[in-house]
Amino acid sequence: MYLKLYLRVIFILICVISTFISAEVSRARVYIDIESPELQPLPIAIDQFKDTGRSQPDLARRIMDILANDLTISGFFEIIPRSEFPQESNATADPPGYQSWLMSRSEALVIGGYSSKGERLAVEFRLFDLVEKVFLGGKRYEGSAKSLRNIIHHIANEITYHITGEKGVFDTKIAFVSTMSGNKEIYTVDFDGHNLRQITDNGSINLSPAWSPNGRLIAFTSYIKRNPDLYLFDLTRSVVTQLSTDPGLNAASAWSPDGSRMALMMRRDGNTEVFIINRDGTHPRRLTKSWSSEASPTWSPNGRKIAFVSDRAGSPQIYTMDINGRNVKRLTFLGTYNASPSWSPRGDRIAYCGRLNGRFDILTINPDGTGIRRLTENSGSNESPTWSPDGRFIAFSSTRGGQSRIYIMNANGANQRRLTSTKGKESSPTWSPRMDR
Amino acid sequence: MVKKTCIVLGVILSLMVMASCAKKAVREEPLVTTEEEVRGKPIEEGEEPGIEEKSLAASLERKEYPGIEGEFLESSLLKDIHFGFDRYDLTPEAREILSQNAEVLLKHPGAKFQIEGHCDERGTIEYNLALGERRANSTKEYLTSLGVSLDRISTISYGEEMPADPGHTEKAWAKNRRAHFIILSR
Repeated sequence: MYLKLYLRVIFILICVISTFISAEVSRARVYIDIESPELQPLPIAIDQFKDTGRSQPDLARRIMDILANDLTISGFFEIIPRSEFPQESNATADPPGYQSWLMSRSEALVIGGYSSKGERLAVEFRLFDLVEKVFLGGKRYEGSAKSLRNIIHHIANEITYHITGEKGVFDTKIAFVSTMSGNKEIYTVDFDGHNLRQITDNGSINLSPAWSPNGRLIAFTSYIKRNPDLYLFDLTRSVVTQLSTDPGLNAASAWSPDGSRMALMMRRDGNTEVFIINRDGTHPRRLTKSWSSEASPTWSPNGRKIAFVSDRAGSPQIYTMDINGRNVKRLTFLGTYNASPSWSPRGDRIAYCGRLNGRFDILTINPDGTGIRRLTENSGSNESPTWSPDGRFIAFSSTRGGQSRIYIMNANGANQRRLTSTKGKESSPTWSPRMDR
Repeated sequence: MVKKTCIVLGVILSLMVMASCAKKAVREEPLVTTEEEVRGKPIEEGEEPGIEEKSLAASLERKEYPGIEGEFLESSLLKDIHFGFDRYDLTPEAREILSQNAEVLLKHPGAKFQIEGHCDERGTIEYNLALGERRANSTKEYLTSLGVSLDRISTISYGEEMPADPGHTEKAWAKNRRAHFIILSR
């Protein structure tokens, strides 16, 4: 249902409207450098969107809530409250009276409008730089009335693009495991924690969701047949198929960046090893060969390397290797338990969890083993890091509130917040790819 | 003369030993509380397999796990073994229990059974799957070394997914780091 709507919106976005309102787009300029450790959120004013069709005045409030929430949770923006807007009537005109904003903290302004006709909804926005006094960009979107959230997420993506130099990920999703129904089932939720969708409903133990690079499939491991087998869920058709059913583990799957293969852990000779299988589950190739346990493979974004966990040196540590299994290098040396590696989409960092003082924390490290950075501290046990497709956020599970839940933070560790508000134990988050490709 | 003394000493010593044995036997007597327990002994030694067969049957319980296909049997005669944190090697106590389990299994060569490897909640979900796999495997290897045939044994790792004790204490964790036995067919 949701997916149908979603696809429809995308279709409309790509094929029909999505027109630039003005040709006078200013030069590309990065306003905030999100890589900077001292990132200061950009103060931005959002004017109430105008009901140009005069049919649904209550929508203005919802648009504002969704947009302000998106921009706030990204950590890149500070929303200027309306009480700080200048009194001049032309302050939020098109173009705005720039002079009236001189005394304001706000450095950017969003104005917009919408109209709805039955099931159809159109929303447009314009973004202005109040300091340079220029128009930065704007777009118009049309879709079904039910696609409101998605349209606003795309507006937030565009605003983020103009301010930070790269599109936002507000339309992406996070798959995770939750016991909200009593057992471990797989769910997906939007970046803002809304739009929960249950993926599996088999009453069994379901683990390790893995999103295909095109965003259409989720691989997962389930015990339905008294063996941890690998299955595939087709998000468009809501159909489950079996993928790999070797006796023993078929678990911790990770798609190759081109979607043609998957790395996973399988049993051989009494322990688990890293294997690669084709995307249809055929032709398993063994990559590691040791007397130890190997687990949790993750691909480098160029598809040439795999990071994984091995206890070959006596304790679980993270290693990298070429995808033919050669050139194995140990990456982590600090502490006696390092696991759950996740290679960043930019390729420059590997996030993982390590045990420090008896608890697990999220850390990142360069792929050559240098530059360890600790991102969580004194806040329960933190596990299973996963990167957003733009590499700017990390989702992870944490027991800081008692039960294990999914949290999101900026890639530098700032701005940690809970993702969902649902009940149950949550684990194993996996971030979707960008959905508009 | 010396020889004689030795004999006398020997007699005295053996008398003392006998006395202490007799004393011990007397002290242990109250521990034997029922006639049944006395009768139970020859059965364990395999002299009356018919009765033993019965006792295995009596020890069985039909079970199933929610969300996992198929029923199975659990026997109170097949005891769990436990592991240290992040360990899969067998403790002397675990070997002792496995010897007893092997005795039961050897007497019922038709039974196909499964060893489940379990972990406590600490550590990552995926690494615990690998660890559970190894616990089940080291259990299997020891049983085969005791003569249980390989084709009767399957193994499965549940990682940290099926704690025996849902608590978050050292005591609960120790209970959860285990290998558990289920009978898939008789």
